[in-house]
Amino acid sequence: MIDVKGLCKSFGDHLVLDHIDQHIAPGEKVVVIGPSGSGKSTFLRCLNLLETPTAGTITFEGQVITDPKVNINLVRRQMGMVFQHFNLFPNMTIRKNITLAPVRAKLMSKEEAEEEAGRLLERVGLPDKADAYPAQLSGGQKQRVAIVRAMAMKPKLMLFDEPTSALDPEMVGEVLDVMKELAREGMTMVVVTHEMGFAREVGSRILFMDGGHILEENEPHAFFANPREERTKLFLSKVL
Amino acid sequence: MMEAIYLELTAMAPKDLVWYQTFFVKFYRAFLVADRWKLYLRGLEQTLILTVLALVLGIVLGLLVGVIRTAHDQQRPGRRNPILGLLNALCKIYTTVIRGTPMVVQFLIMGMVIFASSRNKTMVGALALGINSGAYVAEIIRGGLMGVDVGQSEAGRSLGLNYMDVMRFIVIPQAFKNILPALGNEFIILFKDTSLISVIGGKELLYFAQAIITLTYDPMMPYLGSAFLYLVICIFLTWLQGKLERRLRQSDRR
Repeated sequence: MIDVKGLCKSFGDHLVLDHIDQHIAPGEKVVVIGPSGSGKSTFLRCLNLLETPTAGTITFEGQVITDPKVNINLVRRQMGMVFQHFNLFPNMTIRKNITLAPVRAKLMSKEEAEEEAGRLLERVGLPDKADAYPAQLSGGQKQRVAIVRAMAMKPKLMLFDEPTSALDPEMVGEVLDVMKELAREGMTMVVVTHEMGFAREVGSRILFMDGGHILEENEPHAFFANPREERTKLFLSKVL
Repeated sequence: MMEAIYLELTAMAPKDLVWYQTFFVKFYRAFLVADRWKLYLRGLEQTLILTVLALVLGIVLGLLVGVIRTAHDQQRPGRRNPILGLLNALCKIYTTVIRGTPMVVQFLIMGMVIFASSRNKTMVGALALGINSGAYVAEIIRGGLMGVDVGQSEAGRSLGLNYMDVMRFIVIPQAFKNILPALGNEFIILFKDTSLISVIGGKELLYFAQAIITLTYDPMMPYLGSAFLYLVICIFLTWLQGKLERRLRQSDRR
């Protein structure tokens, strides 16, 4: 589904991603972990070109999206993204937050989009919040709405950038539950997170990043039971 | 009754009058003789019309320049648009020249050089004032647009919305609330700066006040009178601004 070849990204002189090669197959749940500053978020943000790669190519469903001639808006419609700080639009109601993109992209009529928004809100347990504004919601509720907003575009792939890092501990569970359900339905997911429990339970593959490289990757049980690299062992000893 | 007192006092020698009698005579002469107060109101009306014209021009220019400057600065590296680069350079020259020269000099150049043969100096004044205001409004708008959290436009772009939609639905509405105090300030300054149009002979409040001075040879009353009118309108505008801000803030708390 996504093919990354020789991906490099530098901010000025600082090389954040150093020749990353990676293939993500449909239905995979790839969990990216690693110390802060290792390039995990930058890697994720390169996948939908929120960061422009310095070098390398990214191919999504057979299309080289790093080519400047590609209409990136059409590509992004097929990739949902959930941010650490939710980034809901504070000037709109929850309903408007969810329906804005599908209606503007002419994927649905306003009525269809609103119906869909209602269905999705019901699924994440927030049926009565459609007319509320983001400021009236708790962090966990905001993040569930942010997931719904991305899902309303019916994406083929969802990117999660530390979706629970800005939440109060008691609200982490409700967001992870929504993500687990999404995983069960077969959504292809790339998740940057510090939630090792989630990685172990939901991930089909773990990537461990450090210093702009993918240092180690494995399926979760083997990864957590027998980490090969010293750096991985050190990291896991601190977070587990 | 007032007229009778006025006639009686003006019949006396000025050196025989007590100070409050002098004051009354001056006041009567500046405002009441031949219904002169109507001239001040006509001037005030002109001033308000000028303010609105300059305001509209200033907002249109400011929005255009502010959005072009922001769009240019927020381009993705490696995808620079050459047309946008050219427009941005023009906008930069505009704001630099306007903000770097005194307003009176701009009025004089517009009135005496560029539109030297125009007979309607009032409209030339409105044009000059609007062009001037546009440069300041552009910087206010640019600051407001840059001040909206980048995460907001990233969220919009990640949903596949194009740049124009992100601006229109997400960034501009949020920026508007943030720049309202600065914008209100700019408009109050603009209202007061209409008085400078008198240097090129445009008709506004100060022009009529000066016309009365040439009749009465007394600058005190007309100038104090116009100052009072400016003050009253400014106090009203400030009150209006506060009310609008309070209303917009209320929607935050709901």
